[in-house]
Amino acid sequence: MRIILVWGLLALCLLPDMTQAQERFTLSGTIREAASNETLIGATIAIPELQTGTTTNEYGFYSITLPAGEYVVWISSLGFQDIRRTIELNKDVSLNLFMDEAAEQLEEVVVTEDVEKLDIRKPQMSVNTLAVSTIKQIPVVLGEADVIKSLVLLPGVTNAGEASSGFNVRGGATDQNLILLDEAIIFNSSHSFGFFSVFNPDAIKDIKLYKGGIPARYGGRVSSVLEIFQKEGNSKELKVQGGIGAVASRLLMEGPIKKNKSSFLVGGRGSYAHLFLPLFDIDNRAYFYDLNTKLNFKLNERNNLYISGYFGRALFSINERFINEYGNGVGNLRWTHLFSDRLFSNLSLIYSDYYYGLELDFVGFRWNSGIQNFNLKYDLKHYVNDKLQINYGLNNIYYVFNPGEIEPNRADSGIIQEQLTKKYANETAAYIDVEQEITEGLSVNYGIRASHFDRLGQEEFFVYENDNPVEFDPFLLVYQEATPIDTLSPGRSGSLKRFFNWEPRLSVSWSFNGKSAIKASATRMAQYLHLLSNTSSPTPLDVWTPSGPFVEPQLVNQYAAGYFRDINNGAYSLEIEGFYKDIDNRIDYIDGADLIANEAIERVILNGEARAYGLEFLLRKNTGSFTGWLAYTLSRSEQRTPGRDLGIDNGRSGLETGINRGEWYVTPFDKTHDLSLFGNLELSPRFSLNANFVYQTGQPTNYPVGQFEFQGLSVPIYGFRNQERLPDYHRLDLSAKLLTKQKPGSSFQGEWVFSIYNAYNRMNAASINFRQNNETGANEAVRTSIFGIIPSVTYNFKF
Amino acid sequence: MRRILALLLLAGVITACEDVIEVEVPSEAPRLVIDAIIRVDTSQAFIQPEIRVTQTASFFDAVQPVSNITQMTLAALNENGTGQEFMVLEETEPGSGIYRDPEPFPVDTLLSGPLILQIEHEDRLYFARTEFVPSVEINRFEQGDDILFSEDDTEVIVEITDSPEQENFYVFDFGFSEFLTVQDQFFNGQTFEFSYFYEEELDTGQQLEVSILGADQGFFDYMTLLIEQTQNDGGVFETPVATVRGNIFDVTDLDNDQVVDNVSQPDVFPLGYFAVVQEFKATLTLEEQE
Repeated sequence: MRIILVWGLLALCLLPDMTQAQERFTLSGTIREAASNETLIGATIAIPELQTGTTTNEYGFYSITLPAGEYVVWISSLGFQDIRRTIELNKDVSLNLFMDEAAEQLEEVVVTEDVEKLDIRKPQMSVNTLAVSTIKQIPVVLGEADVIKSLVLLPGVTNAGEASSGFNVRGGATDQNLILLDEAIIFNSSHSFGFFSVFNPDAIKDIKLYKGGIPARYGGRVSSVLEIFQKEGNSKELKVQGGIGAVASRLLMEGPIKKNKSSFLVGGRGSYAHLFLPLFDIDNRAYFYDLNTKLNFKLNERNNLYISGYFGRALFSINERFINEYGNGVGNLRWTHLFSDRLFSNLSLIYSDYYYGLELDFVGFRWNSGIQNFNLKYDLKHYVNDKLQINYGLNNIYYVFNPGEIEPNRADSGIIQEQLTKKYANETAAYIDVEQEITEGLSVNYGIRASHFDRLGQEEFFVYENDNPVEFDPFLLVYQEATPIDTLSPGRSGSLKRFFNWEPRLSVSWSFNGKSAIKASATRMAQYLHLLSNTSSPTPLDVWTPSGPFVEPQLVNQYAAGYFRDINNGAYSLEIEGFYKDIDNRIDYIDGADLIANEAIERVILNGEARAYGLEFLLRKNTGSFTGWLAYTLSRSEQRTPGRDLGIDNGRSGLETGINRGEWYVTPFDKTHDLSLFGNLELSPRFSLNANFVYQTGQPTNYPVGQFEFQGLSVPIYGFRNQERLPDYHRLDLSAKLLTKQKPGSSFQGEWVFSIYNAYNRMNAASINFRQNNETGANEAVRTSIFGIIPSVTYNFKF
Repeated sequence: MRRILALLLLAGVITACEDVIEVEVPSEAPRLVIDAIIRVDTSQAFIQPEIRVTQTASFFDAVQPVSNITQMTLAALNENGTGQEFMVLEETEPGSGIYRDPEPFPVDTLLSGPLILQIEHEDRLYFARTEFVPSVEINRFEQGDDILFSEDDTEVIVEITDSPEQENFYVFDFGFSEFLTVQDQFFNGQTFEFSYFYEEELDTGQQLEVSILGADQGFFDYMTLLIEQTQNDGGVFETPVATVRGNIFDVTDLDNDQVVDNVSQPDVFPLGYFAVVQEFKATLTLEEQE
């Protein structure tokens, strides 16, 4: 049945090619920015006469095959001046173009030509793109432009909590986001306890967030894909830009190695050494830094080589007695090759490393943990004709998980060196993905991904009675860790468990009157890695664990449908989408689970499920001196962990109590209402004002239903999980941007950004904690608010 | 050990304001709470165990003692489960909720074999079972001169020698209702030293006492959860919360025929814990620090 499906897909793809009668030729090339030779992603190549067109891919390449003839080709990209070219297509034509940045005063020029908006016709839905220039306009706390905090202003995307860089997409958990930086997987997207995200906006070219309808070329996470591309570097002239902010400074240099042939980019960002200094009157250090590098070699017209690297660390130290350091390192070698003007290929070799270290001098230990992965990817894009594009490829990732190595940090420490059993896994996937216009107005994107996960052998492996690592006490009604009955040493060879999943993807778009479209998608995805976190926001203490004998892969089915409309020839756009998804094998930890330094994580987790549904609304104003958007999401996100059949333990029927009695309960990231408003007003070419307003239903939490005393402790009693909510969250941020006057003949351009975060000083509760007052002994409820009103000034420059 | 770590991180993250606010909290019907941690000094020949019974209250109300226990017994069985030593505990001071046997009990009988606690209250019968858990001595208990977060911190250094035979769990009682749970995963059989920081302002000349209690995994887990729930004062690292259930359960409706467990009545349970553990103590007197 499945085999037939795949062959059916292939047959469908090939069909249009065979039915061609008229002679066809291919128009292809690369679109670049004139000033820097930087390739442009998502530039539109339209042929109005044929009512068709295409867009450039992640490497700025496009290809379209059309019947022979003479055409006017219209090339456009947001923020650039349109180009019109007349093409004589009587043979295959290579057309490389360079686009000039739109001068500010030209923005008011109204496009009179009726070029059909391609986005409306594309089946791809549930995608949000953010221009880096927009990210830099959005006011954020402490003035640091931030990728992830900007994404949170889009519909369906919420924040894990105040000042947290993690994000939740459509009611999904933070570990369900695939974050790709130049195609390398990033495991932790935040610096310094989530106050800043790890991406330096100066080094970034393009950001794309897929919330649903995810194409088959992506896999491994069930909620979303955030794809971030770094700039390639200016191959025309040396350029420098930077900024000096309240907490961090940035500097980025890019320029040609060999003019028009190769380029480099080096960018660094660092916070000042004592980020949290005002908070304590004692000796502490807290800082973060990151480094982005990229080398780009244009070997010839058909071959490009890219080497990119990222390295980031955040460090926090108190009195040198407590030191915490963590971060990502990524190295990436990519080769793009054009087999023909219709077949584009990309081979990537990626190494990524996530490190987490801790030193506690007063206990006398040092702790190192991390994840390494080696990723080999080969992707092909086959531009069959103007109605059909086929993407296919292979991907293999080898993982090494180091759950932790502990060692004494000084000679007199009683700690014994110990390496917790490392875990190994290999993930392989193959995909085929077809973008096809079936008839005028009806487009489909269908594909399938076959993924295979092999949990490889390890040094030590525990065996439990009845294969049950979590025992249930039917009298006390609590879950307890089982004691292993044996320890095996399977070694590195062989495999502990294998999983295989078909992941079909389908999106359909039907556009009418050139302005409106109805789109629908169905997606199935598998996720083989799990993040165990006993907190509601991502922290460096999070533990990633691979699927294996006791942990099944997460599987999601997502369905989405929406209405899309261009208003006033693209001046406004409206998107309304509804979604539903269910996730199998969402793990939950038992009460009191110890996740850190736990060498048998299977003993503290239970298998559950999750579901989420909602409605998203996005109205954008794209042109004019005032631009911005209104985003609103109404949604619900729930999970449950029912008890297993008691028969496992004692031959009886009946169910264990599960977690929360096996009832559905809202996840910590359930936000019923989520409203964001963002506006940017260009008052003059040099002066602009920005504002954003956020309103969210309060985060689910627990209030005590009572208290008791035990051994002098006053202990709050909590009922079911997440029954109450924190007060609603809302906030207004303002900023103003002023470009300094450019001296004639000088390329130096300065810019002041003044911002006020939380302008009306709302004390939003990050949490409410219930505790006994140390002095009075009375119980009290304590609200913690992270940021009140914060004004800040940043100075940016480029030359 | 993880607790110290979590606490540290919490303190690091609380950058902004904390303020006490008014919150309306839900409430539940009162539940019986049995504090039956019996600390045994094995150098003594006799012991007079005390068990404290209270009931739960709404979070902002005062906890009340329970004086109407109909019967409370503590039985020490032999290794083979027979030959009982039997103790009947009574509320010696009316209204205190504290129950004890007027007659001292020989310590030896507690040290081996199962120990059974049975309590009758308002027609409900409660039951718990445990065994004595040994501990190790405190080698050293000294004042240190470091601080962690504030000038008011007082450092104390504790040193123990872990017993190498098995996996050991310890519960430290530092006084001031401050507890710390430690397991020997990373220092099995070693002499292990660590620092503990009192956040309170303590005066020179003040005497500090630390106790180490032996613990099995159940008691360790229970205390760990209690500490987590009471000292959980961070927002960003908030842990999920739950009703902390102990090892004492309601056996009234168990007939061992039709009803053999509590799965069908998940709301019927008392709170508290029954453990009989070895205790060692150490003291120091605070001295002036430069």
